[in-house]
Amino acid sequence: MIKVLPALILAAWSLSAMADSAVRVNNAWVREAPPGAHMMAGYMTIKNQGVSEIALTGVDSPAFAHVMLHESQVVDGVARMIHQDEIVIPAEGSVELKPGSFHLMMPAPEPRLVEGDTVDLMLTFSSGETIRVQADIRKKP
Amino acid sequence: MLLATVLLSACSKPEPPQLSQGTLLPSSRPVTDFQLTDHRGQPFTLENLRDNWTFAFFGYTHCPDVCPTSMAMLAQVQRNLEQQEALQQMPQVVFVSVDPERDTAELLSQFVPYFHPDFIGASGDQQNTLSLTRQLGILYGKAEADSAENYLVDHSAAIVLLDPDAALRAVFNVPHDPKLIANDFLAIKHYYEASQ
Repeated sequence: MIKVLPALILAAWSLSAMADSAVRVNNAWVREAPPGAHMMAGYMTIKNQGVSEIALTGVDSPAFAHVMLHESQVVDGVARMIHQDEIVIPAEGSVELKPGSFHLMMPAPEPRLVEGDTVDLMLTFSSGETIRVQADIRKKP
Repeated sequence: MLLATVLLSACSKPEPPQLSQGTLLPSSRPVTDFQLTDHRGQPFTLENLRDNWTFAFFGYTHCPDVCPTSMAMLAQVQRNLEQQEALQQMPQVVFVSVDPERDTAELLSQFVPYFHPDFIGASGDQQNTLSLTRQLGILYGKAEADSAENYLVDHSAAIVLLDPDAALRAVFNVPHDPKLIANDFLAIKHYYEASQ
């Protein structure tokens, strides 16, 4: 019982932290990299239920050497990827990280991650809050 | 007499199709010689564009978002066309690298068939790559770089369609819809054959 109690308290604390958070993350997934590809992209929907704007400022993951925030843009027919210092989620709004738009970019690890695998992503926000999400490796959205 | 003339001209000159996604060129633009190498290490030249329709996309394997999305979309176009019983010959789909320094034939041999076993990867030196891209109105260039080995490449997002005379026929700009592109392809092919 003595051993179980701290775990219970911790579980209760993390649940309350979740409940207090203004941020909700849904449908996190990482595109399976084709063989030989050196980079992967990750996607998700981030919802901000708070009354203040919030920004995703960084992502860490034990699965990847590093994770960058990027946006794909097509301007005058030319596709380019623009590095983002942060991705802003407006108050009471949401931002979708999706193909051809905002996304995470990370180097593909060895051995290859394949459909059915999952990875942990630690999302850090401008509020100082960190949220852990599990992302599925998928071949398509 | 007038009616006969109108009918004759209608028969000899079919109307260009109305496309949902693509832009048909007012007149086809023949491609001149270029030298690339395919993902099996074989030459890929003007001859490989003759006697078959070709969809070409220009990208690079270090591109994790736009390029896999476009290649997966082209695989859907191909699967859609494979359902067309009247279509006797599938168009070929070529991924031309705009990052020839890193995209070796060996790397392309892993990357390209992942999307469809019949897809072709092609790369060449800058001069030969440019000689093809310039003819097709495709732009590319190195962009953001952390180091000499770690860089991004900006590139046209369009997919181009070449006819069996190795001439540019149509351009498909983003956003791409595989069903619409498949339908446009069939309409362009029909128009081309009726115009022969």
